[in-house]
Amino acid sequence: MEKFIELITQMNSFDLIQVIFWGLAGAISFYFSIGNARVWTSISIGFFLIFLSQAYGINPWGHYQKLTAFHYIVGTVAIMMITHGFLEYYVFCRTFEISGNKLVVYMSTLGILAASAGFLIINPTPSPNTIRNIRMVENAIWVFLCVMNMELVRKIYLAIKGSDISKGFIAFGLVFLLIFLWRGSELYLQVFQWDRDWQDILTLMTDEVSDIDQYMGRVEFSREVRRYAGLLSGVSVGATFSYIYRLLK
Amino acid sequence: MFLLPKGNPLFENLAVTKLKLPEVLSKLSTGSFTGYSSFVFQASTVILVFEAGKLVSALFEDRNGKRQNGFEALTTLAELMVTSGSGTMNVYKLSKDLTMCIHALLEGETLYKAQELKLIDINSLLKRIKDDQLNGCLRIYTQDHSAMIFYKEGNPLGFFHDGSSDIETSSSESQKIAGLPGAKIDLFTTQSVEEIMGINLLEVTNIQKIWDNSVAINQSELEKTSKDRQERDTKLVSVRLYELEEQVKVIVGEYVGRVGRGIVDKELSENGGNSCLIDDAGFVKFLNGVERAAKLLISGTNIKLMVEKLNLAITDAKSGF
Repeated sequence: MEKFIELITQMNSFDLIQVIFWGLAGAISFYFSIGNARVWTSISIGFFLIFLSQAYGINPWGHYQKLTAFHYIVGTVAIMMITHGFLEYYVFCRTFEISGNKLVVYMSTLGILAASAGFLIINPTPSPNTIRNIRMVENAIWVFLCVMNMELVRKIYLAIKGSDISKGFIAFGLVFLLIFLWRGSELYLQVFQWDRDWQDILTLMTDEVSDIDQYMGRVEFSREVRRYAGLLSGVSVGATFSYIYRLLK
Repeated sequence: MFLLPKGNPLFENLAVTKLKLPEVLSKLSTGSFTGYSSFVFQASTVILVFEAGKLVSALFEDRNGKRQNGFEALTTLAELMVTSGSGTMNVYKLSKDLTMCIHALLEGETLYKAQELKLIDINSLLKRIKDDQLNGCLRIYTQDHSAMIFYKEGNPLGFFHDGSSDIETSSSESQKIAGLPGAKIDLFTTQSVEEIMGINLLEVTNIQKIWDNSVAINQSELEKTSKDRQERDTKLVSVRLYELEEQVKVIVGEYVGRVGRGIVDKELSENGGNSCLIDDAGFVKFLNGVERAAKLLISGTNIKLMVEKLNLAITDAKSGF
């Protein structure tokens, strides 16, 4: 507990607020998944998993590299679950077919996470560079699937326009736009090796020199976009689920 | 219509629908019946005259005065017995002589028809009947009254007039009608009893075949009518179901939005078409499906209102089926 409090006090206050908002959003979305139709389960579990992936900063065992890598894998699973949920919702809008049950979704998610953990356990401890690669893959998947989800959300909105919940999908569109900015800016920094992880690797492990000083303006801008978009994403997810909950009540 | 003396009634007011013509004729024939049988329908009457079990006359007359006799009359009688659904049969036993006179009235040779009484010499006519030893019937009538005098070999057998049920011996009523202004006469003659006995319609017609044919035609008509009715009913039900389906789509669309129609279509196709709307178990399944889909789109309050409205619409519609 002491270590947990120590970690929190060491954390950047902005990052801490972000984690707290993702915690609230995760709690709301998880609660939403319990009382609602099966199609919502994947979506809400996905958003709940974002909190888990973001919580590595307050994880007392976060210094274990395998656990850090696991946080990023959880983040990848999160967006895949969300996308799966929106795809199912889109299929429902076109065919009105509702199949499967919640337990299968919960168990499948647990199974995927267990398999990911197993993958990390049976492989060598990931180096800081490997962890950064995993994080970059996560961000790439997030960016790609956010664009896809924005298109899905648009199509769903057009299909169900006029129903109580249709405006909730506009809110989801905003959520994915913010997540796209958040993850996109992070990916941008990673692709050009201007991210903090790479800077640490350069300083500690190599003799290479970074060109970050030449592009400090765009780096700072991207960092700010990442910070604020990340924070607003958490806020928007919590607000969107609260709004949808109210619409469906 | 025919107005004939009743003689000795053997059966009266038997329901025709329970009778079969071949059996009736067979019974009257084997019982050597003499007299006549009348079949009274709503708009027509058929008289069958028997002489010692032989069917000597068959006459059909409808309300408009249209007449048929012989084979045609028997065919029409069979058709009427099969199709009318109502009607009564009476059987009256008469003497041979009177039966002969009835035959004359129905199918005999017409010597005078609608002859105004004041234009003829009634005494010479009566003399002629006597002199020629005519067998037959002299009918004296006005627009409102009618009387008949039956003759055998020129001698009156008896008098019959409307309002009486049997032959009378008094000529007073006949004379009274003859004295009325505008009185007319018909004179029908026939051959002797012995000659009439040579005729037997039962021998020259296949009653069983006529009956079977009428039954078959009627059966076919009934089947056709039933089929037509079924088709009409099916069409009507189909139209009503379509209207109900539209009503349901409007209600669901009102709450769910434009995807409502699609949800209804999908649930109807999964539950065997729109007939499930008027089937208790089918409607429950349909409603559960619509509710399940609506949960993804609208609030619980609106779902409750929508279900109430659907239940009301279905209950109303069911009373019309």
